[in-house]
Amino acid sequence: MSDPRDEALALATAAIEQLTASGATDAEATVRIADRFSCEARGTTVTKLQRSRGRSLSVRAFVGTRRATFSTTDLDPARIGALAREAVAAAVHVGEDADAALPEAFASDEVCDHDLFTVAPDVAERPDDDKVREALELEAAVRAADARIMNTDAARVGDTSAWSALANTRGFRGVKAGTSVSRSASPVASDGDNKRIGYYGTAARGWATAEPADAVALHAVHRALALCGARKPPTMRVPVIFERDVAASVLGDVFAALSAANVAIGNSWLAGKAGEKIGSELVTIVDDGRLRGGLGSSPFDAEGVATRETIAVENGVLRSYLSDTYWGRRLGIASTGNASGGGVGPTNLYLVPGSGTLDDLVASIDRGVLILDTIGFATDHAGGVYSRGGRGIYVEGGAPQYALDEFTVSASFFDLLGGIDAVAGDLRFDGTIVAPSFRVAEMTIGGT
Amino acid sequence: MQPGLDHDLLARILARALRRGGDFADVFFEYKLVRTFRLQDGKIREGSSAVVRGAGVRVVRGESAGYAYSDDVDEAALLRAAETAALIVRDLQEPATVSALVPAQTAVLYPSHPDELAPANVCVALLARADEAARGYDRRVAAVNAFVADELQYVQIADSEGRVVTDRRPLVSLGVQVVARDGALRESGYVADGGRMGIEVYDERTPESIARDAARIAATKLGAVDAPAGDMPVVIGPGGGGVLLHEAVGHGLEADFNRKGTSLYSGRVGERVASELVTIFDDGNLPGERGSVAVDDEGVPGQHKVLVENGILRGYMQDRTNARLMGVASTGSGRRESFRVPPQPRMCNTYMPGGDSPPEEIVGSIERGLYATSFSGGQVEIAKGDFVFMIAEGYLIENGKLTAPVRGATLVGNGPGAMTKVTMVGNDGRLANRSYTCGKGGQRVPVGIGIPTVKLASCTVGGTAR
Repeated sequence: MSDPRDEALALATAAIEQLTASGATDAEATVRIADRFSCEARGTTVTKLQRSRGRSLSVRAFVGTRRATFSTTDLDPARIGALAREAVAAAVHVGEDADAALPEAFASDEVCDHDLFTVAPDVAERPDDDKVREALELEAAVRAADARIMNTDAARVGDTSAWSALANTRGFRGVKAGTSVSRSASPVASDGDNKRIGYYGTAARGWATAEPADAVALHAVHRALALCGARKPPTMRVPVIFERDVAASVLGDVFAALSAANVAIGNSWLAGKAGEKIGSELVTIVDDGRLRGGLGSSPFDAEGVATRETIAVENGVLRSYLSDTYWGRRLGIASTGNASGGGVGPTNLYLVPGSGTLDDLVASIDRGVLILDTIGFATDHAGGVYSRGGRGIYVEGGAPQYALDEFTVSASFFDLLGGIDAVAGDLRFDGTIVAPSFRVAEMTIGGT
Repeated sequence: MQPGLDHDLLARILARALRRGGDFADVFFEYKLVRTFRLQDGKIREGSSAVVRGAGVRVVRGESAGYAYSDDVDEAALLRAAETAALIVRDLQEPATVSALVPAQTAVLYPSHPDELAPANVCVALLARADEAARGYDRRVAAVNAFVADELQYVQIADSEGRVVTDRRPLVSLGVQVVARDGALRESGYVADGGRMGIEVYDERTPESIARDAARIAATKLGAVDAPAGDMPVVIGPGGGGVLLHEAVGHGLEADFNRKGTSLYSGRVGERVASELVTIFDDGNLPGERGSVAVDDEGVPGQHKVLVENGILRGYMQDRTNARLMGVASTGSGRRESFRVPPQPRMCNTYMPGGDSPPEEIVGSIERGLYATSFSGGQVEIAKGDFVFMIAEGYLIENGKLTAPVRGATLVGNGPGAMTKVTMVGNDGRLANRSYTCGKGGQRVPVGIGIPTVKLASCTVGGTAR
């Protein structure tokens, strides 16, 4: 069978030619092809089975310094030609923007060819029936784990093989491939009149490196059971521990503030803070696009710039925003190889781990709260306030006491990052934004 | 002309889909055009367009569903998708019958029926007006970002029971984000407005009014105090406060969670789940509203549904597969983000009708509390019903009057818990006229919300004030 990368490159190159013919002075085209499989089991039934191949083209065109973009799932050459003409026509309505242009330099062939272990061969090798069997087993393991697990939302297993090609009018031609797998479970525990759902999922480049199904089942069941008997806490200011998945979601909010796209328009509490202390000594945040086997690893970014390792925050000092070419020019900094989907995105963004376990963090506090899960996702990036609904465990004398829910956990981001006074060593690269568990000296718990 | 697949081809796809057996199959064809312009720092920075075209085939058997899609809409690709979807039938059976396709009429619902996208010059002119109005509102306005997006979605749905139906759905949205600055203080305000109609909606709901509203929120927040933390009376403002209903009640009444028994509302139809002042509707039939659908993404006409009536739970929002398993009819709630994903039971426009109390009486009844005008980033945990959202615009209530604006406030509560504490409902019920998008299982769909001024005798506010 032909390599989908060849098909993608041929389509991207043809699109560039159509754009040039339509009057674009510069252009860039990306073609993505992805084979996605997913299955779901609930009880003893296979409740979902999905497999498809999707293809899409996305284009950035420049007419002088005016920019227009388009994307399409219809890859018919006549359609692409019409969209190219439409984009060039739309550019007339766009203002001159000297920063809007392709990058000056692109990843070299050597950089592009460097193997970052983004393709795990066991993804293509594993038969669908085997994954279906795993979903049924994962679901069964969850249901058998504890008498209080009376129901589930389902167990899910899936994988993706993706290929893409990038071509532009400056002569850059790059192709890449990547695989990913995921497995998750959602047990529901009966807790008197209440139900407690515990979700746990994991992801990796391949089956061999992913957290095994039995560990996923145990984690998910533990999360459902840990919340049983939860009560609402009083309003208090106490030390707070973020368990690593929740810690990663906090880092996701920090990423938004590090993104040059937000900084340049003033929608970031980190705007104007370069070189300043914005966190405690323990806060070192790295974005590494070349991490071996990382889910966000890639030889070049969405506009062909070589990816790299960027230290965004070092021992609490803001060293670098994360940027693509356009927003970098707006801020007067170089691209950090973070172009993604028409904007700025993380590659493998992580908080550098310390040592010890989550249990050690729990043992270290006299009276405080361990956060296991948060809900809500609005963040006031301009004002810089972190506030979420929380679920977790009340800790006293270094020992877990009982579960808590229906409360909020809040602080300004300066107080949150500045208050990080212990970081565990439990980092795991199971996403593109990851963090070890950490402790914050004091946050507001909003309850009764 | 309505794009779509030839009926003979649809019949062949459906027959192939049920070749291994199964209860039901459908084909969803989509052709969607979107054009967006973005303004930033007084300049149009980008024009973009998107074409989403393809078809998905689904095969249902019992509580199982197989699904496959194709971007190519030629016969070979679509038949391959049908064969893949058919694999959900694990034990090969006799082919199931496909009824002859008979086109069904689609009701006229949207107030205007553009057959092409708004011209670029009209779109950029709206943005320039928004920019000027936001900048002129307050000298502390430091940045204005705005977009206008115009969309036309053509869908065609055919099923093995012989129904084939089409819908042409317009959708426009104009959003303005304003950052205001005062010394080191920085605050933002965001407002987006639109609906299922053409660009002419902005003749009445002008870009100036949208922009000034965003600028007003940002500028007001510069004078904000840190939100308090703890339990207190909370007043939900009319219109945008309807996010409360969407999160605290709406999601928990979607049929999939209730069929599986994972929602706290499972098996509770006929029971009291809220104060008797609470009535909640979900309506897919409101002309021009963002969440309306003449037919849903399974071809079922949009409907007016009574979810809660005077505090009593009346029913769930059903798509076809969950309705079939629960032995009831679909309520026209089967929606999906695109042809690449199967439908789920979803909300359309969720709202509470007006009550008896004048709004000023509601605020006047509170000595110390919080007034929430609008929310963002809401989420609910289905099993126990805990919800949370951030207050995008809110004020302290002191001695019966609105006083200082607050920043960083979050509301947290439990669905039935909060709804039981509704003690006053205003006579000012209205829809929000705002562009809300709801996410579920990775799929985003446009929705509408509405509510009158409502008093919650007590709710937990999570702020940062010391």
